[in-house]
Amino acid sequence: MADFILCNWSAWAPGLERKDDRLMGSGNAAAPKCVPKTLQRRLTPLAKAVFNVSELCVGRGITPPVVFSSAHGEICKSLAMLKTIQAGEELSPTAFSLSVHNAIAGLFSIAYGNTQEITVLAPGQEGIAPAFIEALGMLHEGAGEVLMLLYDEPIADFYPIAPFNLNTSSPCVLALRIALTGDGLPLQFLRSPQPRDDGEHPVQLLNFLKFLLAGERSLSLGNQGHSWTWCKK
Amino acid sequence: MENELKQLIIDALDLEDISVADIDSHAPLFNGGLGLDSIDALELGLAIRKKYQIKIEAEKEDVVKIFASVSSLADYLQSVQG
Repeated sequence: MADFILCNWSAWAPGLERKDDRLMGSGNAAAPKCVPKTLQRRLTPLAKAVFNVSELCVGRGITPPVVFSSAHGEICKSLAMLKTIQAGEELSPTAFSLSVHNAIAGLFSIAYGNTQEITVLAPGQEGIAPAFIEALGMLHEGAGEVLMLLYDEPIADFYPIAPFNLNTSSPCVLALRIALTGDGLPLQFLRSPQPRDDGEHPVQLLNFLKFLLAGERSLSLGNQGHSWTWCKK
Repeated sequence: MENELKQLIIDALDLEDISVADIDSHAPLFNGGLGLDSIDALELGLAIRKKYQIKIEAEKEDVVKIFASVSSLADYLQSVQG
């Protein structure tokens, strides 16, 4: 069991029709102005959303340690490159360099000059819990605050995903700024004994965002005996 | 040739806000005003290969000299094309 404070959060979820100050409108797709032009041209719409949501949550000039978490990153880039190879054409070095799972984190650290500890997780069916475990570990090692950036986008139809519950119809980006003390929403994070079947990271991410927006006091998420509960205290 | 190369640089490297007139033929192409990096160098090499069917071999050629500026790149390509 671990207690922590949710100091602030923000999100971008175009599929979720809710009005809230912490939800970014779908029109905010431009790259943040503080990002150098030479880097802006390398940002995908998803990367721009991650940067914008992060700025809404943390504010400029503050560079806490960051935990990134995404099931597949931008796997569409890998698919596009495979199609290029299939067509017998040469790969773009730029596309290749940005096709790794931690590409957004790399661009983020350069754009904001963030030299703090940065971790990128691809948690699969473990869902969003590993990001919390990692971020809480950083807090208990002495970090004052940790920024969590969780994001997913729909997977191309090319990939067979059945019978796994891991896809959503629209992208989702969630930024959480957490600490052990201070102002904000106190949350408790604990293992849950009951076996659950809540889908993988993209599905859980959207459910966690709905939990933040709703009045429910607790949320449990997990798969096959690995379940976790978040309680608003 | 130089203006053609400048347009190729703009297109291949997604330099949205830059026009041909903004690029000085004799200014350093990398580590200079355009803010281009080593990945851009690779991307430009690919674009040149596609457009002119000229492969600039890093092992055999003095790539630093060839890619020094738009002017030096144009000179090199013209010398290879004959």
